[in-house]
Amino acid sequence: MTNTLHRQGALENLRNDFVIFMTTAKGINREGSAAKIKEFLRICLKYDPVSIGSSKHGNIFQDDIELEQLVSGMKDGETAAAVFTGLDALQDVVEELVQADLGISINISGLLEEVQQCCRKADIERHSVEHSLGFWGAKDRLPEREILEFNTLCGHGMVSFNLIRKMIEYVKLRRLSPKEAARIMAKGCECGVFNPARAEALLERIKEKGL
Amino acid sequence: MEIDKKKCVGCGNCHVVCTMGVITLDEDGKSVVNQDECVECSACYRLLRSEGYPPWFVRATRKVLSFLRLGYLGDVDVCPTGALTLPELKWPRIIRAEFSDPTITHPGTGVGGRGTEEIKSNDVTGRICRGEVGFVVEMGRPGTGAYFRDIEKVAMALAPLQPTFEAMNPVTQLMADPKIGKIREDVLNEKVLSAIIEMKTKLGRIPEFLQAIEKVAKEIDTVMSVGVASKCLRDGTALHEGWVRKAGYTLSLNGKTNLGLGRPLFREE
Repeated sequence: MTNTLHRQGALENLRNDFVIFMTTAKGINREGSAAKIKEFLRICLKYDPVSIGSSKHGNIFQDDIELEQLVSGMKDGETAAAVFTGLDALQDVVEELVQADLGISINISGLLEEVQQCCRKADIERHSVEHSLGFWGAKDRLPEREILEFNTLCGHGMVSFNLIRKMIEYVKLRRLSPKEAARIMAKGCECGVFNPARAEALLERIKEKGL
Repeated sequence: MEIDKKKCVGCGNCHVVCTMGVITLDEDGKSVVNQDECVECSACYRLLRSEGYPPWFVRATRKVLSFLRLGYLGDVDVCPTGALTLPELKWPRIIRAEFSDPTITHPGTGVGGRGTEEIKSNDVTGRICRGEVGFVVEMGRPGTGAYFRDIEKVAMALAPLQPTFEAMNPVTQLMADPKIGKIREDVLNEKVLSAIIEMKTKLGRIPEFLQAIEKVAKEIDTVMSVGVASKCLRDGTALHEGWVRKAGYTLSLNGKTNLGLGRPLFREE
């Protein structure tokens, strides 16, 4: 799964965008993992993530999702993710996860150097690393860079180019505030890895300066 | 996805949220899905809350407002009448949903949507060991979608380099012959939101793989997102970085890091 690998944006935007998520492996540590996944989410929640979710249960921006139900409903082998906008909170989460020693695989998507420093401060060394090499092929079919910045915040591509354009239009027309428009986009991202705070900031910028 | 024409009032909200942009207004003023291009991701069905109004009520309200020269700006994340209908999918069309809908657990991988565990569980699986590099070529991403005939083209271009295609990957599982990258005939005309060709090889072969991907990229009618991964040395060094740069390609500043907190840790011989 390469969900959070290809997030686009300039360095200053990427500095506010870290996704931490857990995974289990069938036959190794998946069985009996529900309690550990719940604990992972509880630890993340202590440090005010801007989003949290699971592909099986949805994310906190959806109409029918209650946070407590989301956490308590996690079952063996399901995945969960939380999004943070700063390194300080991420550092606290990583340190607490190291202490908790849950035994499930934990990954972070974000600026690689910052994440490596974060690991070292928590007295661990990163295990494996993956880079994006960008988009290849018929790139003339892709929209503007700003649209891609929103779209790639949801790795499953659930936030359509047209919805992004519509949200930009509505923000410009003042039919929706940037915050409201960002939340509508975030609803579509089932896993909860969409960063609504970053989307809101991007919408504010576009409102002021245009695409 | 299907739209119940008896219920649809042609509000157009589903046109906007459609990940492939393939829902349009039909001649009768109601929405219609281009079934060839729909990838069965169900994003429209999930994102648009059904308001459950009777269609006659919505139409009558519109007529009254129109008569009074008044407009009504409805919410964008609703289907006023609940016209979107989940179809019962059969083979081979069902693979569209299995790859494109993240809420569906793929039967071949146990993972939601088109994904795999990839490096995310590398600390416990040892999927990519020292001296190896993993490639993920995600066809159709971002936002373009891909037919399996294009996915096959890329897989067949890479197969002569003799990579190890990941057995637990849903694209590999659709290969009739992994040695040549050939995909099953009956799925070639199926379209998915995206699908990942996942493979590994030795680190030193990074340049020739990237050149092969670059060459075949010119022959496909879609986009692909390419990723490269490896297991780090004890000091955190990722050896693929040097090979990629040496080959003349640019690495992203951001990426994915496996923290190595999974247990039991995979031990290499």
